[in-house]
Amino acid sequence: MNATGLHINGVGAVSPAGWSSAELLRVVRGKEELPVTNCPRPGIDRPWPCPVRTVPPVPPEKQVRHPRFRRVSAISRYAAAACLEALKDAGFETPPPRLGILFVMMNGCVNYTGRFYQEVLDNPAQASPLIFPETVFNAPASHIAALLGADGAVTTIIGNSNAIMEALDMASVWLSCGVCDHCLVVGAEECDWLSAEALTYYHEAHVASEGAGALLVSASGKGPAIQRIAGPLPFHSWKERNELIPSLALPASILIDDHNGIAKHDAAEAAAWSHLDFKTRHSPKKLLGESMGASAALQLVLATLECRDQQTSVAVSMPGCNTAAYGCVIGFDAEVGV
Amino acid sequence: MSDSNLQRIAITGAGIVSPLGIGWKANEASFEADRMAFRPVPAELFGVEGFVAKTAGIVDLPPKVPMPIKTCYADRGSVMLMLALREALAQSGRSTMEGIDAMIIGTSAGAMSLGETYFETAVSDPGRHRRQLSRAEHYQPQRQMNEIAAELGWRGPIIIVSNACASGANAIGWGVEMIRSGRAKRVLAGGYDALAKLVFAGFDSLKALAPSGIPRPFDAARDGLALGEGAAVMILEAEDVRKAEALADVTGYATATDLHHLTQPDPMGNAAIRTMTQATLQSGLTPADIDYINSHGTGTPFNDVAEAQAISAWAGEATSRIAVSSTKSAMGHLLGGAGAVEAVICLMALRGQWMPASLNVREVDPAVKFDLVRTFRRAKVEHALTNSFGFGGTNATLVMKRRSA
Repeated sequence: MNATGLHINGVGAVSPAGWSSAELLRVVRGKEELPVTNCPRPGIDRPWPCPVRTVPPVPPEKQVRHPRFRRVSAISRYAAAACLEALKDAGFETPPPRLGILFVMMNGCVNYTGRFYQEVLDNPAQASPLIFPETVFNAPASHIAALLGADGAVTTIIGNSNAIMEALDMASVWLSCGVCDHCLVVGAEECDWLSAEALTYYHEAHVASEGAGALLVSASGKGPAIQRIAGPLPFHSWKERNELIPSLALPASILIDDHNGIAKHDAAEAAAWSHLDFKTRHSPKKLLGESMGASAALQLVLATLECRDQQTSVAVSMPGCNTAAYGCVIGFDAEVGV
Repeated sequence: MSDSNLQRIAITGAGIVSPLGIGWKANEASFEADRMAFRPVPAELFGVEGFVAKTAGIVDLPPKVPMPIKTCYADRGSVMLMLALREALAQSGRSTMEGIDAMIIGTSAGAMSLGETYFETAVSDPGRHRRQLSRAEHYQPQRQMNEIAAELGWRGPIIIVSNACASGANAIGWGVEMIRSGRAKRVLAGGYDALAKLVFAGFDSLKALAPSGIPRPFDAARDGLALGEGAAVMILEAEDVRKAEALADVTGYATATDLHHLTQPDPMGNAAIRTMTQATLQSGLTPADIDYINSHGTGTPFNDVAEAQAISAWAGEATSRIAVSSTKSAMGHLLGGAGAVEAVICLMALRGQWMPASLNVREVDPAVKFDLVRTFRRAKVEHALTNSFGFGGTNATLVMKRRSA
């Protein structure tokens, strides 16, 4: 059960590196240090550091001009920009008909959710009806659908940091069942003080991040294809996860790993892939931070870009954190069609 | 995909937990008695001071449900799901999930109550707090589901669908598509949601909740919905691997997106017309073949008129012969659980040859041209259809067919 054979015909990204996939590639290849700030807590100072790497302000040309986007949350803006870039990258100046959308997240519209709940705690009678709809997990997918006129299958998945692999699998089901002809698969997340603090409970060196990665996938096309998938490898504990990770190690020329620079987190993955040689190895999380539901999407965008540019196979390691581990190889010789 | 070549998909087990009761029998008895389940939200769930609405459909959970998750981190919704899951497994003659290829669960709010506790703890004091890590972990619905899977000794893909009020129906529909595409042979699919303060406040802020606490779907003077909570799951099996008794077949599923507005449906129900049309077509049926529709029927002014218009437009001359009811009138709107619970109600109707009622209707809305079922009815039900429409515009329709004994 997987998405082997899907063609990735377009990609788009928004990340702390900037509002395009080209900027993501430049920063990762150049191992550029991006600024880290201390995430402010509303109303009161926090007696411990809470580092974040956020997306830079939106450039004017990336502003989405659509009535739905007047007051949407940051996650919707990031996802919209990434999706528009992916469509353009795939050669679509206007969205194609019969376009499916699969939106993946772990945390979702946390800024509006926190704000709305604070209003409820302060005075339920004055909690804003304008904010509440934006707290719903599938609000961003709805906005993207409205922006693109996609009135077919549109779905939001909540999951592990690598849940985009589940979405790609579903995209391949949709394509094979004729539910849609093309599918945008986007993973996105936005930063807020609550989730940034939550990450520090896992490890104080975690840097919370945000952004979106979008893939325009189809059953055929000129883009590279997902050649091999390892997973899902379900696990019930961190110990099981670490035992499974060696199964993810797939040979390729380039590796995009999940390392974030925290030894405790990285050790098992590093050991699992140590027997394989790679011409190039990227660790985007070390540069960008932990963007949860967006992180594997950004890895896949990066893999697609490297595959296209270097004309070589790229392995992606996505061990995940709480349900299943995945790995995949993206290349130009698809062996299996959907 | 050619509709005539569709793989036959059987439902071999189902479990249901709703404000009307825990389990198939309790729910069936409540429907037979035209019972309603609304009562004041108990303080141990959350306070309702400051809200217009004060009541909801609340599940009476047994005092002790064996759960793999530590009590303080087990979301009520997960407990309900566990109960529904165990009932479904038992009905299909299983004690474990062995042989299930995927678990697809819909939820709108996940473990929201844990997120609320996390938030309240964090804002109470800027220092670091014990248990926040576990709250952050268990706030994630996939983590809750994974612990349930571990308890049942199962390893496989766990997919959490969150399409607001259509989540449960979409989860079942995904299961159907997975089997049809050959990706899976057996899928456990369903949905759940427990009441949570944030969600209650949200619907209250939108003035979507009936001030009286009594929802009146399809009543001319309806004034809003009532929230509820619950869970339901189905075990879907490809016919070629099925061993357990088939309770019914899922013959059609379609989803579409209403782009009209984030929270309001297109007044003519165009997306609903498309999903009903596609799902019946996929089933090889016409609207005239549908005996019973479990409507989305929230009781809000906008939803019900749009759905009534859509049913009329879709069914045409057959409209008046189709029986329709909204079980939300009895148990409330179960949000992410609604689509799954209502699909299981359709299954119960197919098995029991009855139709549950739309309660509390005083004067039928003029947009209603169908046969609104206003009291429990014994009737022939060969094909049942259920609609789910969510915030964000996700519409889903499932069609099920009776299996003769």
